[in-house]
Amino acid sequence: MINRKKFDFYLLAMLIILMLAGCLAIYSASTSKIGDNVSTQNHWWKQCIFVFVCLFAIYVLLRTPMPVFELAVIPLYVLNMIALILVLFTPAIGGSHRWFSIGGFNYQPSESAKLLTILVVSRVLAKDNLGELRQLLYGFALVSVPVFLIIIEPDFGTTLVFWTSLMAMFVAAGLPLFFLLLMVSPVVSIVFSIHWMLLLLWMFILVLLLIRSRLSWVAITISGIANLFAALIMPVFWNGLKDYQQSRILTFIDPMRDPLGAGYQIIQSKIAVGSGAVSGKGWLEGTQKNMNFLPEHHTDFIFSVVGEEFGFIGSILLLGLFAAFFWRLSTAVSELKVAERRIATAGICGYLMFQSFINIGMNIGLVPATGIPLPFISYGGSNLLINSMAIGVVLKFLNERGFMK
Amino acid sequence: MNSGNPTIIIRIVLGVLYLALTVALFRLQVVEGERYKVIAERNFVRIRRVIATRGEIYDHRFRPIVSNIPSHNLYLETGKIKNFPALSRFLEQHFGISEDILQQNVLQNRFRTYEEILIADNLEYEQVLGLSESLNYFPELTFRIGTTRKYMYSNHFTGYVGRINETEYEKYKLEDYSINSSLGKTGLEHFYEVLLRGKDGREIVQVDAMGRSLDLFRRDESIAPQNGLGLVLTIDNDLQEFTENAFPNGMRGAVVVMDVQSGGILAYVSHPLYDPNIFMSKISPEQWQELNTDAKPMMDRVIHAAYPPGSVFKPITGALGLESGVANRFTTFSACTGGLQVGNRFFKCWNHAGHGKTNIIDALKVSCDVYFYDLVQKITLEKFREHTLAWNVCTKTGIDLPNERNGFFPSSTWYHKQYGKNISIFGHKINLSIGQGEILTTPLQICAMYAAIANNGLWNQPHLLKRTVGRGMLTKQQLSATTSHRLPISLETLRIIQDGLYAVSNAPGGTGAHVKVSGATVFGKTGSAENSMGKVTHAWFAAYLVKEKPEIAVTVFLENAGGGGSMAGPIAGKVLNYYAGNIEAIKKTVPIPLQLRNQEELDSSIESEEAETSETDVEQLSD
Repeated sequence: MINRKKFDFYLLAMLIILMLAGCLAIYSASTSKIGDNVSTQNHWWKQCIFVFVCLFAIYVLLRTPMPVFELAVIPLYVLNMIALILVLFTPAIGGSHRWFSIGGFNYQPSESAKLLTILVVSRVLAKDNLGELRQLLYGFALVSVPVFLIIIEPDFGTTLVFWTSLMAMFVAAGLPLFFLLLMVSPVVSIVFSIHWMLLLLWMFILVLLLIRSRLSWVAITISGIANLFAALIMPVFWNGLKDYQQSRILTFIDPMRDPLGAGYQIIQSKIAVGSGAVSGKGWLEGTQKNMNFLPEHHTDFIFSVVGEEFGFIGSILLLGLFAAFFWRLSTAVSELKVAERRIATAGICGYLMFQSFINIGMNIGLVPATGIPLPFISYGGSNLLINSMAIGVVLKFLNERGFMK
Repeated sequence: MNSGNPTIIIRIVLGVLYLALTVALFRLQVVEGERYKVIAERNFVRIRRVIATRGEIYDHRFRPIVSNIPSHNLYLETGKIKNFPALSRFLEQHFGISEDILQQNVLQNRFRTYEEILIADNLEYEQVLGLSESLNYFPELTFRIGTTRKYMYSNHFTGYVGRINETEYEKYKLEDYSINSSLGKTGLEHFYEVLLRGKDGREIVQVDAMGRSLDLFRRDESIAPQNGLGLVLTIDNDLQEFTENAFPNGMRGAVVVMDVQSGGILAYVSHPLYDPNIFMSKISPEQWQELNTDAKPMMDRVIHAAYPPGSVFKPITGALGLESGVANRFTTFSACTGGLQVGNRFFKCWNHAGHGKTNIIDALKVSCDVYFYDLVQKITLEKFREHTLAWNVCTKTGIDLPNERNGFFPSSTWYHKQYGKNISIFGHKINLSIGQGEILTTPLQICAMYAAIANNGLWNQPHLLKRTVGRGMLTKQQLSATTSHRLPISLETLRIIQDGLYAVSNAPGGTGAHVKVSGATVFGKTGSAENSMGKVTHAWFAAYLVKEKPEIAVTVFLENAGGGGSMAGPIAGKVLNYYAGNIEAIKKTVPIPLQLRNQEELDSSIESEEAETSETDVEQLSD
């Protein structure tokens, strides 16, 4: 089933390099040196095993006949949605219901939902003779289901990933840019609804932009009213939330509101990355991890270890690796001729890119958000599996790109 | 206006995002790198847990039972360790901390907390003074002052606190316990842990070597600790002390004094005593040996052990006879000839001379076994069991202490399971009628039963907590209401039983006739229970005191001490007399001292202060 001539060894090599870099970083993150006393927790070899499992999973995916793969997508999506409902009934871990724990393994259904939603949405968007408005509508509807369920968990970070991949898919589906503007506009309206002057200004700009894009007056009126509605309903909704819910949302947007929790971790992460300076302290020589300020330093804060031990040079190298990787993925979007596959690849590229940006940004205090791991680098089996399966899907598409549809 | 080439758009977005990251990284690592290097090396920034002061425990007149005293503790910051062998030697030599324990703290515990690890607590002040100098060589070690508990007297109800252990940590870590935490291990300290512990605060330390703020946090949001609530008990320290002194030396047993109206426990004594203070520092092997002798000083004999009640149980059998119509006030059964022949078995009465024919009143007065032997034959075991359980003597009372024991009352199913399907249970039933055989009760259950008889048949749940003071002012009823229920007997039956108990202490020939209080009336019952623990009987005396209205119930229990009337009776007499003599002092309502009041209420506004004073007025009026 694997066509060697068309197989993209370059993309696979990039993937493996990233995963190995992750293993190295995790090894260092779980090693601590106290005096002459060196101890390593077992995270790193678990991650090494995960890498092999992931490569095997990609192999199996590539060997799966395309029709079987295409048939499986929708049932899997439905199963995943059921899992997202069921996970709400599990006991809360750290205040949210995200994981199924089965025999020592933790399965997070919101992880697989990312990939499956992309595959289902791309199939719908690629349907022939579907109007642009319908594309928008269907795309939104399909993404809203998992997003709604994940918000209940609650896990705001993950829901953002869904929206960005949807945007990327709309772009790849050839939707006019002003539709994207329409999509983003309610978010802006909600944000600007904090002050009526701001809101008025934004409404003015919005209508101007809509007129410029030669939309019918009906469409302009409808979108204007929708925006106004979103803006006006927001304060009502906001005040309807309980105090702890409000503060949870505010803390997500601005972790420094919680200097003893998330804010503290970000400060410590900044200190670690900053103290790496230009050349870094050297592999395994990081000191900040020894203080154990960051309980998550092998998962969400893995970049702080990289930044501390390899300095600016190492950080830029890792960024470069990621950039090259995404560059190749974005090329694949144009190479693929089948609309569904092109759109899916764009969605996959979009979500991985967004996650890498948010995570690194969080580690250096640039982006105020928490709870998103660094793809391929952070410790975590199910996350690594889903991300590499996503790349497996792209590899599979690329491998069969000769077939026209 | 089409979206154009998606590849280009994705690359533009990629370029913008990664450029932002690069610029931010450049600023952080290249421009400010040296500054962060210094911060990282000195570890200036950390969060320190500010431990909340644990609530103190007072008697009902606000005199201390458990207080906090300062303690000296040694903390280890593992990340700063430079010379492990030297540290290990130092700790071994001065604190007796073995290398294994140090290894464990360094290699395991440190992954569970960002805090310093408490490695030795409640150190002697002299030791701290002597070693302060040496600590300069070990920047990873710090002495810090905290608080520890001081228990004013030996007792079994306060329990004690201790360092959190492995299982407790796993269980409670989500409730803000750290590996350094202490928690209540037994007794009230355990039962009211949630009220007592308060909420630890957090302090952000972010100063450089010169003491200047690093301004890394936009707002310095330290969280002040919320101190735990103080507990005011129903215990009266004077009565407790008197009761303890009245207890004969070298004996094992328990004394409970309970307020009849409320169910509040006034005195709670179990012997042999142990001193909770010894758990506040390292226990020596000798101390450990002492705690694990056959006398089991750690065992709370009031609620953790159940015994055959013997004759103090007889009011229940008697009441059942009256209730079911088998007997009335004047009914007599077979004459007591020092025992009763039933079929081919002879059941002995304690008095070999025999009591002759007795009615219920006399049967209670002289504690004649034969009356109850005969009575119970007319009643099925199921009915007997159902009636007894309704008195709450064989089930947990629900007192606010952990690990209370159930008593036991067998059912016929239990007998058949135990001894085979075909055995006849009438012999067992006859034994049960006088509180012997398989039946087991705790001294507290008996005390609550006699309090209920005194309280016109209303059974009140015994409890130790009266109210909380400090940050939250709650009464016991607001926290969790005590339950109460009626005994399964009519008022008429109750009067007859009360008359019988009156006769015990007041009629000539009563088994408790020597227990008297001037100016008040004692109602009581003796018990001498045969048991499997030894040849000598357990001595019981259960009584209540009426002065105008019913006041207190007292139960005295002595393990293998002999006759109830001779051994337990005098102790109960002393306690009852002391109470009657000091009744005004004990019952006087004391206003809550100012320092135990809710600080916020005191500080906030004049209005609330006025409310406070008016509350005080009401309390003083009610005196």
